[in-house]
Amino acid sequence: MDFLFQSILNGILAGCIYALFAMGLTLIYGVLNFVNFAHGELIMWGAYFLYFLMGKPFGFPLPIALIPALLLTILLGIGMDRFVFKPLRTANRLTLLIAALGLSFLLRNGAQFLWGAELRTYGFEIKRGLRILGISITLNQVAIILTSIVCIVFVYLLFHRTRLGKSMRAVSDNLELARVMGIDSKHAIQFAWVIASVLAGVGGILLALDTNLQPGMGLINLVKAFAATLLGGVGNIWGALLGGIVIGLAENLGVLVISPGYKDAIAFGIMVLMLLIRPSALLGRQE
Amino acid sequence: MKRIVHLILISLGILIFINPSASAQDTYKIGAAFALSGAIAVYGEGFKKAVDLAVEEINTAGGIKGKKIEIVYEDNKSTPKDCVTAVRKLVAVDKVPILFGPAGSSNFMAAAPVAQESKVVMLSAQGAAPALTKAGEYIFRVFPSDVLQGKGISDLCVSLKYMEVPIMYVNNDWGLGLKNVFVENFKKAGGKVTDEIPYDDGKTDYRTELIRATKGNPKAVVNLTYITSGAVMFKQTYEMGIKTQWICGSAAKAPKLVELAGKAVEGIIGTYPVFSQETKEYNAFRAAWKKKYGDDKVPIFGEYNYDMVYITAKAIEKGGYTSGGIQKALFEVAKGYRGVTGDKTFDQDRGVGSEYGVWTVKDGLIVDYKK
Repeated sequence: MDFLFQSILNGILAGCIYALFAMGLTLIYGVLNFVNFAHGELIMWGAYFLYFLMGKPFGFPLPIALIPALLLTILLGIGMDRFVFKPLRTANRLTLLIAALGLSFLLRNGAQFLWGAELRTYGFEIKRGLRILGISITLNQVAIILTSIVCIVFVYLLFHRTRLGKSMRAVSDNLELARVMGIDSKHAIQFAWVIASVLAGVGGILLALDTNLQPGMGLINLVKAFAATLLGGVGNIWGALLGGIVIGLAENLGVLVISPGYKDAIAFGIMVLMLLIRPSALLGRQE
Repeated sequence: MKRIVHLILISLGILIFINPSASAQDTYKIGAAFALSGAIAVYGEGFKKAVDLAVEEINTAGGIKGKKIEIVYEDNKSTPKDCVTAVRKLVAVDKVPILFGPAGSSNFMAAAPVAQESKVVMLSAQGAAPALTKAGEYIFRVFPSDVLQGKGISDLCVSLKYMEVPIMYVNNDWGLGLKNVFVENFKKAGGKVTDEIPYDDGKTDYRTELIRATKGNPKAVVNLTYITSGAVMFKQTYEMGIKTQWICGSAAKAPKLVELAGKAVEGIIGTYPVFSQETKEYNAFRAAWKKKYGDDKVPIFGEYNYDMVYITAKAIEKGGYTSGGIQKALFEVAKGYRGVTGDKTFDQDRGVGSEYGVWTVKDGLIVDYKK
């Protein structure tokens, strides 16, 4: 029985990571109506910024390096928008998509140029997990789950309880109309990038703490995050969480039955099925 | 202002994308389609250092008949598709008669037919899949085939009395090929394979695969892994408190694995093709490495890459700078040639033989395993 519970925990963990990434994706999609394929690189750069600040010549300890690393990630996110996406604001979706893909390559190669393609770690000592009821969990993993929950609640409150969040939703519904109503759309868009960058940075750092750093780390998980976004309904924050957990659980429990060689196929199988059966996704967005 | 910012961005982009490879007329160009980015770049970077060391030595000693060697590196991005592109580029644009092929058996095998069709010699210093040189008479390897290693791992399990083991392997030509040889030998020796778990390399989460492999608490698990996935796996095994004896192949035997996974890899064992580290060739190599790079962390398979450059240089010297000439000369120059990795005589399948030893990690160092 233990291995079943452990698999469920593993599924939830993977799901939380997917959900953190999916929320950023869905947020930008919600506000700007395009899929940011460079989001994975934002994740990766977030993790590398921390690596950079913890290494020579700075050598900051983790808690001190965390905030500047996130600030740098925000800067990168806003920079992405300012120099690439903003000039293309009125362009069609295909142009935006290709621009995002190009940016993704540029940022990945950039990281490789600076840090090399090899694997890196933050260099913390590995610890045995805590054993609770026969399942083991590390402090890192507790942090992943808690942080995901905090982030989701935070984003939810922001979206539904604050003026800024409401203006972001207004911009998302209809940019022109929002402008006419006197909403500062520039401000709202910029803020969406800030939140998406923080989510990406936090997710990237947690992922790197749990595993390793590598220029492709964002990309591999982004595909799953994308599936989670589709599953939960594009533009829906709770949907991103639910989608992430469903995919995480499905692939981790599925592996117990079928050959692990098909692990990725499970996620995409679910995605295709969902698209065919219920295109409005698990939590359909009310039109 | 805006224009300046854009200009800076564009030039940055160009800097990142362009490979500075100066080409001069009076050099012998050798292609190298290496994994300099992507999933197994962790290997490619070490290979490049080893190749560069050998090239520097040969050039300092006067090159080949006075002409210097120049390596044209092409990034194969660790994917079979880009390996084909890289080899095509080296053959068509750089017109090299000989090239060093990609690491990773799947990648090498994707590129081999291209080299064979173009009648360009392609060498491998790492590929171990049994079928590797089947593409044709222009494909060589200076690395022993896994037919030997698969038996080595099976013998190791039997000698340690692990008669019931699950096997995990990287789901590609190398992992699958080695797994098949292992299973065949292990069954013949009376062993039982309890589960077969293929997995993709380069992922960040292997927890569930690990749980499935260690279901029923097997005393040992055979894991045919690379450095990247191995580091993640052993770390996650340790965190989950799973206790079992890991038995690996040669692809994980790297200082980098220990660097990445720390004490989680303490005590794992594995087989690897052995060559004596006491020979004068090896000592000279080690000294040269230390002089150039300032450490003695020779990357995995670095020695094979080093030997490959020397054999190539000898073949160009003897057969001339044409692919046909090199192809014929390779057999002659390698016959009885004692490199850093021992005897490099090619057999009729254009491969080399080897002995197998057992390695383990003890106090953070990779050492020979003693029972």
